Amino acid sequence: MDWVTIVNAVINGAVVGLLLALPALAVTLVFGIARFPNAATGDYMTFGAYAAVMTQMFVSTSLVVTALLASLATGLLALFFYGWVFRSLANRSPVASLIASIGIAFVVRSSITFFAGQSPYNIQAPLVRAWNFSGIRVLPTDLYIAATAAVALAAVFGLLHFTSLGRRMRAVADNPELASASGISIRRVMLTLWSIVGLFSGLGGVLLGIKAVVMPELGWELLLTIFASVILGGLGSPIGAVCGMLLFGISQEVASLYVGTAYKIVLAFFVILCVLLVRPQGMFGKIIAVR
Amino acid sequence: MVRSLVANRRQFGQLAAGLAAALAGSGAAFAQGAQPFRLGALNSITGAGGAYGPGMLEAIKIAMTQVNDAGGAAGRKFELFAEDDQTKPDAAVLAVKKLVEINRVEAVVGIWPSSVQLATLPITNAAGITSFNTCGAPEIEMVDKEDLVWQFYASNKMIGRVFAEVAKARGFKNPAVLAYNNSTMVAQAEYFRKTWEEGGGKVGEFIVYEPNQTSYRTELDRALATKPDIVVLSSYTPDVTILLKEWYQSGAENKFITPGWAVTQKVADILGPEISSQITTISNVPASNNDAYAKFVDAFKKVTGTEPEMFAACAYDMVIVLALAIELAGPTATPKEIASKIRSVTNAPGTKVSTFIEGRDLLKKGEEIDYEGASSSLEFGEFGNTTPAFGVYGFDDNKLALKEVMTLPS
Repeated sequence: MDWVTIVNAVINGAVVGLLLALPALAVTLVFGIARFPNAATGDYMTFGAYAAVMTQMFVSTSLVVTALLASLATGLLALFFYGWVFRSLANRSPVASLIASIGIAFVVRSSITFFAGQSPYNIQAPLVRAWNFSGIRVLPTDLYIAATAAVALAAVFGLLHFTSLGRRMRAVADNPELASASGISIRRVMLTLWSIVGLFSGLGGVLLGIKAVVMPELGWELLLTIFASVILGGLGSPIGAVCGMLLFGISQEVASLYVGTAYKIVLAFFVILCVLLVRPQGMFGKIIAVR
Repeated sequence: MVRSLVANRRQFGQLAAGLAAALAGSGAAFAQGAQPFRLGALNSITGAGGAYGPGMLEAIKIAMTQVNDAGGAAGRKFELFAEDDQTKPDAAVLAVKKLVEINRVEAVVGIWPSSVQLATLPITNAAGITSFNTCGAPEIEMVDKEDLVWQFYASNKMIGRVFAEVAKARGFKNPAVLAYNNSTMVAQAEYFRKTWEEGGGKVGEFIVYEPNQTSYRTELDRALATKPDIVVLSSYTPDVTILLKEWYQSGAENKFITPGWAVTQKVADILGPEISSQITTISNVPASNNDAYAKFVDAFKKVTGTEPEMFAACAYDMVIVLALAIELAGPTATPKEIASKIRSVTNAPGTKVSTFIEGRDLLKKGEEIDYEGASSSLEFGEFGNTTPAFGVYGFDDNKLALKEVMTLPS
């Protein structure tokens, strides 16, 4: 296999990885702070993609406006379901919230199909030929997608590590009782959390919709991949989610050069298995003593 | 003690006699009017086939209404039980079990994907009921030992062959293949390769890819590695849309051949003329100069306000063919006896008919009929398969246009 092909595969894997890092980060934040795996993340992405299609139909075809409005709409959706469902389940076992999130996933997807049907939609974005650097091809669309994802990821890391709100979020993640006792408003942290989850899932959905096609199963199909990469990076670790997704994306693309492309996902899971055998807590996970 | 037992026995005898009389009475009442025919519709309403399933169900209802309004087939009116197979074999098995065991349907119509037909076939065949599909997987012909399964769309054996014939006729030398990983699409690609290699050609890369992905760039890169002049895309609409977007952006310059269901007018609208002009699609030609097709399109537009897809015409034909076969087999015929009449009402010789009423009236006079369907002229072969004519389509100025009609020597 010549190195140009491998570099192309790595670039492709990195773009997919960066894009899916947005929902992966959303999953890991919910797990870290609200302490349950949010299975509705995939369908929040789908909602974002459909919101983008709607925006282009009725408001504006500008991609910036589309991405902004669709992310905001998904943010509102996430806040709505937090207020309606997850808030009341906060003191119950995480399993209750997990099951509720699966229910929400179905509600969102079925509502979308009810109104939009099963046919695929498209987010209008200009198709531009790739830049060719002696065989290494970079798609301009991919570059914009990767850059948008990278900026969004940087923004959330900034929020978490350099603002007082971020400090409060991390405090709640570490120990909710202690944080609450020291006067941190859990409610405000939760509202911020769910806004971020919605914005990120929505943006991820829009970027994915630009790259692929918009269908009701768009996000749901990716949920396993997202969860796997979150586990790979270490549950609850934001940097881990991003690195996990990147490693997953790149390893599946490079793997597909050596085995049948039908097996590339298997290979990616094999990489996860190898990493977890060496570091059972994930790449950036902490070992937490159970009392 | 003994007395009461005797008394009980007598009472029981009276009860039993009464019950028997009541049953006999109700039996007599049933025999007076023909029983309704319990029709199962198994459609891909959701999932990858979701673009076609709802239209097929609509077509089934249109055909059913036509038969019922005409007084039923052999006096039996259709009663519909509809299920969604989600385009998934596991969901389809549950759905068909419900149709067969609970609703007691006597035929299943409207099956779209081969994976569903292959999964449900053992159940319907064991129950001795007919099933009607638009599938293309060649192995269906081999698995159906009871002659109960009827294919209303061309087998992929043939579609693959037509791909090779068209590529050869247009002077392409170096093809590559990208196939969606399922029995239908891989079979189509395999038959393309077989026909191409029998003609002395060679196939560059033969890539089978896993569906439901964000990007297919690496697969595409591998397919394009041998610099093909034509790529055979055996796939469905969502994947093909992503693949073609990525192909255009990659800067490669080759042509494509795809099945007609993958690249529709809607896909061309999304992708634009620069991409669509590179694509040739091949599908069953609907019998557009046929009376049945014209009438069906009118009826379909009246109900839904949209043009029917190719598969909707197939679904419509399934019900009409079934009704004609019931008419010929008689009101008390079993599903197997009905199945044995299907070739008699669709294949030549016989007077050509295009509606249920025309066919029924001729059958009543004892004449032979040859139903010319809305989807094709419907001549069923040894394995319950059809050999339709194929339309080779291109896109002129981003509009789907029929270039030529091909028939395969069988």
